[in-house]
Amino acid sequence: MNSTIQATLPPRLYQQIRTLVAEGWFRDEDDLFIEALRRFLDVRRPDLLEQFIREDVEWGLYGEE
Amino acid sequence: MEKNRPTVIAVCDAGPLIHLDELDCLSLLADFRIWVPEAVWNEVWRHRPTVFQQSAVPFERRIVPKPIPPTLLALSYALALDAGEIEALAIMASVPEALFLTDDAAARLAAKQLGYRVHGTIGILLRAIRRGHMTASEVLTRLRSIPHRSSLYISPVLLEEIISQVQQEYGLKS
Repeated sequence: MNSTIQATLPPRLYQQIRTLVAEGWFRDEDDLFIEALRRFLDVRRPDLLEQFIREDVEWGLYGEE
Repeated sequence: MEKNRPTVIAVCDAGPLIHLDELDCLSLLADFRIWVPEAVWNEVWRHRPTVFQQSAVPFERRIVPKPIPPTLLALSYALALDAGEIEALAIMASVPEALFLTDDAAARLAAKQLGYRVHGTIGILLRAIRRGHMTASEVLTRLRSIPHRSSLYISPVLLEEIISQVQQEYGLKS
């Protein structure tokens, strides 16, 4: 089942979204939000975040300059 | 004085500057030449102007070389990088031996893809022990304060694991 969320957007950002939808790049605003969030989350997966921090720990504690 | 000038360049994204300042640890950057891209400078100035009000680190405001390489632009769009991250990576292209400091996963992913050395706030904090800038106890205090003093996100489980690792490494009791 889909969930509905509410968000408050800066006017300029919302205008950009409306333009993309109006020009036909996305079916509607929902479609754009889903695509944007999917892309955002794709490069911020928890396993990736954790891996980067673990690399930092390794460098911080034992690394060479 | 000139002979003491740091030689390693670190190109900074906004995250580490803000997070280290929140933890009162900005001085840990003093042994780098800190290059701050224009867009990052403006972002930090907007959100955490105190960063630039201390004198321990001589920040160098850098203008981005133009044009931005097409490979970087493509990567930036694909990973939805912000202006500061794009500028930082564009500067890295001119000094690939430098260190890139960011806490953003996407920017880090892009930097690794481009073959750059990249680290974040946690790495800088832990490095302080190795370099003798802070004691392990001092760093542990900072690590424990992250959830309530800093906007750096780290999962509580992972943070606890790092704290345990530092305690174990330096023979400190929990």
